[in-house]
Amino acid sequence: MLELVNISKRFKQKYAVKSMNMLIERGEIVGLLGPNGAGKSTAISIMSSLVEPTEGDVYFKGQSILKKPESLRKVAGIVPQEIALYTDLTAEENLQFFGRIYHLKGAKLKERMDDVLETIGLTDRRKEVVKKFSGGMKRRLNIGVALLHEPELLIMDEPTVGIDAQSRNYILETVRRLNEEKNVTILYTSHYMEEVEYLCDRIYIMDQGNLIAAGTKEEIKRILSGEKTIVIKADRITESFINEFKTHPLINGMNVEEKQVSIMVAKEVNMFADIIKLADKASLELNSVNVKTPTLEDVFLHLTGRALRD
Amino acid sequence: MRGILIARWKQLLRNPWTFLCFTGLSIGFALILGLTGAGNTIRVPIAIVDEEVHEAPIISQLKQETTLQFYEMKEQDLLQFIEDGKAEVGVLLSKDSYKLVVGVESTTVTIAENIVRQTYVNYFQQQSIIDRAHMSAEEEKSLLQELEENLNEPIFTIQASNFRTDEAVIYNPTYQFLFGFSLFFVIYTIGHSTTAMLTEKKQGIWDRIILSPVSKWKMYVGNLIYSFFEGYLQVVIIFSFFFVVFDIDYNGMLWKALLLLIPYVFAMVALTILLISVIKNIQQFNVLITIVAVSMAMIGGAYWPIEIVESKILLTLAKFNPVAYAMEALKGVVNYGYSWDQLYYPISILLLMGVVMISIGIHLMERRHI
Repeated sequence: MLELVNISKRFKQKYAVKSMNMLIERGEIVGLLGPNGAGKSTAISIMSSLVEPTEGDVYFKGQSILKKPESLRKVAGIVPQEIALYTDLTAEENLQFFGRIYHLKGAKLKERMDDVLETIGLTDRRKEVVKKFSGGMKRRLNIGVALLHEPELLIMDEPTVGIDAQSRNYILETVRRLNEEKNVTILYTSHYMEEVEYLCDRIYIMDQGNLIAAGTKEEIKRILSGEKTIVIKADRITESFINEFKTHPLINGMNVEEKQVSIMVAKEVNMFADIIKLADKASLELNSVNVKTPTLEDVFLHLTGRALRD
Repeated sequence: MRGILIARWKQLLRNPWTFLCFTGLSIGFALILGLTGAGNTIRVPIAIVDEEVHEAPIISQLKQETTLQFYEMKEQDLLQFIEDGKAEVGVLLSKDSYKLVVGVESTTVTIAENIVRQTYVNYFQQQSIIDRAHMSAEEEKSLLQELEENLNEPIFTIQASNFRTDEAVIYNPTYQFLFGFSLFFVIYTIGHSTTAMLTEKKQGIWDRIILSPVSKWKMYVGNLIYSFFEGYLQVVIIFSFFFVVFDIDYNGMLWKALLLLIPYVFAMVALTILLISVIKNIQQFNVLITIVAVSMAMIGGAYWPIEIVESKILLTLAKFNPVAYAMEALKGVVNYGYSWDQLYYPISILLLMGVVMISIGIHLMERRHI
């Protein structure tokens, strides 16, 4: 349905996106994952025909959108990262405005507005001015605007940034329902691993403008199939304790949080004795040591050497 | 495009305070300076040095003048007044002559001298006619009345009006301040309206619209039409307010004056687009619009009549200033009864300025991805 072929985008001397290839098939939810500044938003701007690439081409249903963006624009819904709404207008007035832009009018516009308000759960708040909405409600309306013209393809750029868990869950459920019930093809970008893991059939991982991995969740996790993750929790984590792990020859990757260290080692390696010895040496009191199979987060750490939200 | 106009109109209705504020300021300043007399007509003291002057109607005629306001005081006080710099010029009146006491060489001195001289010339002419006619007092009165009527309705009329010559200057403070402040404050209203376009771009609303089937030129046209409408609505409200509430009749030229505002408002929309195209954020725009609006108002004769400006540099700068052309057109039509032929020049310049500024502005905005 949508294909990016060898796309690069350069701003002066710096590449925001470098030689990116991507394919989105009809009816699937594809995740584009990467930390802030990875190049996700630039990639989205290119594939939605907003920004022209320095090199490469984007094809929608086999037709270049660089030459003819209209074919994509008619059937694509874009949910930008920012709240792109008129905050002085009500939810209903915003939908009316964006509906008219898509040439919807009269009974059809009203029907679509009712449907969208129902989908995003704002039917009873339709007459309220947007600036009085909570962050989550604004995000929902931001999505609703993109649904008015019943898009075949929905491109969502971090639609859950800065909102509470309840609104986030609502949005994730809405996205899933749109895909299941209306067969909307969705490209979902996020730097929340769990969202992408929950929603997406296939995942592309970006870092510093490059695509560093692509495939189904299982395929990506298989990158670390020969490894395991050990999560060590202690009363505190000291510098010397971290340094001991950093120089340990059997550890392939490490992520440090406040009172927790996650290390990656080969499946057959037994690290328990070393962990207890090193904790004792650093005078730490261990609270727990858990072994688990690698997550996407671990894969990202393995591929980039840093955590997703760094 | 209709959608853009409706949305922007609803936004104005929901948040009309900026619009009302600038409309109110225009009305307020025009009222204070134009109608109530504060800071309007220049006052010129006169003193009687020869009591026989009371036999002539000179004092009463001078007091009827609207261009300058003549008022009486004692000779000694007048001289002290001029010495203290409280008045630019004073006039000492006797029956057969007058003396100007000049404190500061200025246009006011020239205007005062013209008025006083003309008053004396008129008086002497009438006297001369009466003296030659050898009539009774009753007949004299009727002759003078007849003379006045004939002068008011002559067989031939010669009208010499050149806006930039001192001889033809008609200074009406009410129109000066009403036009000046309307033209000045509407720049802010239009600026505030066009910056909505900048805000929408920053908020991503424009990107959203670009990704719809609506073309970019429709978005520009929709926004510009709206900004024009908001600016024009303001000046129409102000002009109508003075017409209805204060019986300012614009010498019967209200409709013509309102039509003349169209090219000016268009030029101001274009100017604000040009300003937006060179700045990076709203804060910069607010600083720039203040500098530009105040400078244009000063140079263009919105605060004071351009006719009193003598600096060649300022007068040259005024030739590139839309406010100067709008003031010329408005005062021309209301004070001098300009015909359309005489108005084509300022109208054409305003339209040309508008087209040039809007083209450069949109081109720069697109190039700089503002």
